Amino acid sequence: MSFREALESEKFVVTAEVGPPKGTDIDEMIHHIELLKGKVDAVNFTDNQSAVMRMNSLAGCKIALEHGVEPILQMTCRDRNRIGLQSDLLGAYALGVKNVLCMTGDHVSAGDHKGAKSVYDLESVQLLRVVDALNNGKDMSGNDLKGSTDFFQGAVVTPEANPLEPQLIKFEKKVKAGARFFQTQAIYDIEKFREFMNHARKFPVKILAGLVVLKSAGMAKFLNNFVPGIVVPEELIEELKAAGKEKALDTGLDICARHIKQLKEEGICDGVHIMAIGMEDRVPEILERAGLL
Amino acid sequence: MIITKKKDFKELMGNIRNYRSFFLIGCSECASLCGTGNEEAIRDMTEALKAEGKEVTGGFVPKTGCQVLGTKKELKAFKDELGRTDCILVMSCGAGTQTAVELFEDKAVYPANDSLFLGNMTRFQMFDERCSLCGQCILDKTGGICPVTTCPKGLLNGPCGGMQDGHCEVSPDIPCAWVRIYERMKKLDKLQELCETVVEAKDWSQGQKPRALSTREKKEKTRS
Ligand code: SF4
Ligand code: SF4
Repeated sequence: MSFREALESEKFVVTAEVGPPKGTDIDEMIHHIELLKGKVDAVNFTDNQSAVMRMNSLAGCKIALEHGVEPILQMTCRDRNRIGLQSDLLGAYALGVKNVLCMTGDHVSAGDHKGAKSVYDLESVQLLRVVDALNNGKDMSGNDLKGSTDFFQGAVVTPEANPLEPQLIKFEKKVKAGARFFQTQAIYDIEKFREFMNHARKFPVKILAGLVVLKSAGMAKFLNNFVPGIVVPEELIEELKAAGKEKALDTGLDICARHIKQLKEEGICDGVHIMAIGMEDRVPEILERAGLL
Repeated sequence: MIITKKKDFKELMGNIRNYRSFFLIGCSECASLCGTGNEEAIRDMTEALKAEGKEVTGGFVPKTGCQVLGTKKELKAFKDELGRTDCILVMSCGAGTQTAVELFEDKAVYPANDSLFLGNMTRFQMFDERCSLCGQCILDKTGGICPVTTCPKGLLNGPCGGMQDGHCEVSPDIPCAWVRIYERMKKLDKLQELCETVVEAKDWSQGQKPRALSTREKKEKTRS
């Protein structure tokens, strides 16, 4: 069953994330792809995440396809103008990529090429519209395509943004622009997320809750202080502290599994997106603890 | 107005090292408000050049340095001084400098300032950038606050995921343009409109350089 079919069939869907390497050595990426094979519905390949230059997302997607894993192509608007974006989308589709996640992209000032010229010729809402046009056989200027795409297109949303209202307005625009699924920024407070879902449920889109494994109390505090749109509640930080240094990671994996279980059992959202950030090899274990394997 | 900043003096001296006598041209408009091309700036530059052993044949603050014909007329009175000069130092913006280049074909013309941006003066000699002259104004759709300029990504349809407590992901010193737009639209009771308008991708051909405009005979003509 494809990622799209899984979401449309109301199955509780699981996606994970792999960052292509900085360099041409793809052994570790293939290892992670193989580990996730058969355990998740699709794998996102990040697009120069945090504006740090790496192998492109499309190559990751193609390699995943060769290894029997369905990819989600992440596409940011930071590095390519409308010509580059459309051209890469056509190429991706021809190579067998069926899912695309449209994002704005972190600013170059966050990355390792700070002197780069940011592009942002389009932004996420407009990119979603472009995908919609390509799906309907037209490019952005209205020219006919010889062979259209049939992408299943998604976007991102930050349920814990502060203030939240401008983010919700943008969420609505993304839905109108054709987004069919959303993967959220990491969430840790299930009750607050439930409130967000009460709003999101008014729209005909599928929502995957973003999850990032907490490795320690220190990491939780770092996320709270330095990562926009992520709020780790105090009780979770206490829980990690109480576990002690040795057991902190284990507790973090438990918290993640517990959240997945609750989201699924209470039917809060349509699936989860696990961003392992360097712990891709622990994803199967999380799914096992959550009772999904 | 056009915001200018004095070039580092050492750098300037390096640029003009091969010249001996100078005529200084300021500007009574933007460069005066910036303190880079007013009478006082000309006086300071004259003294600084003299201290470096250079000769200054004269100086003048034209009304509007980027106005070619007007400046030409005003400078007629300085024919002798300009004749004795081997380098004209322009203390306004890059446009003013190029007025001098047009007027003095056979003389060296050097800029004394760096031209920065189109700015608003918020306090005495404090400036910020609010419009980047994109050629296709969308302030009508954004509550009068320009995201093309004041959002580092120039996003047209709402905040990115990097916004934190109303601040921009690029720097906590920058208020997020889209939170400001949201708040203003809320005050104007126009949130519905904000929600319903998807701003189209910009037509950057409207800002294709070099731009030119003639409104003569009430007929607007832009180079395209
Ligand atoms: S949209 Fe912004 S940059 Fe463009 S003309 Fe209007 S204020 Fe200036
Ligand atoms: S935080 Fe706001 S101002 Fe900064 S890049 Fe994102 S949308 Fe633009």
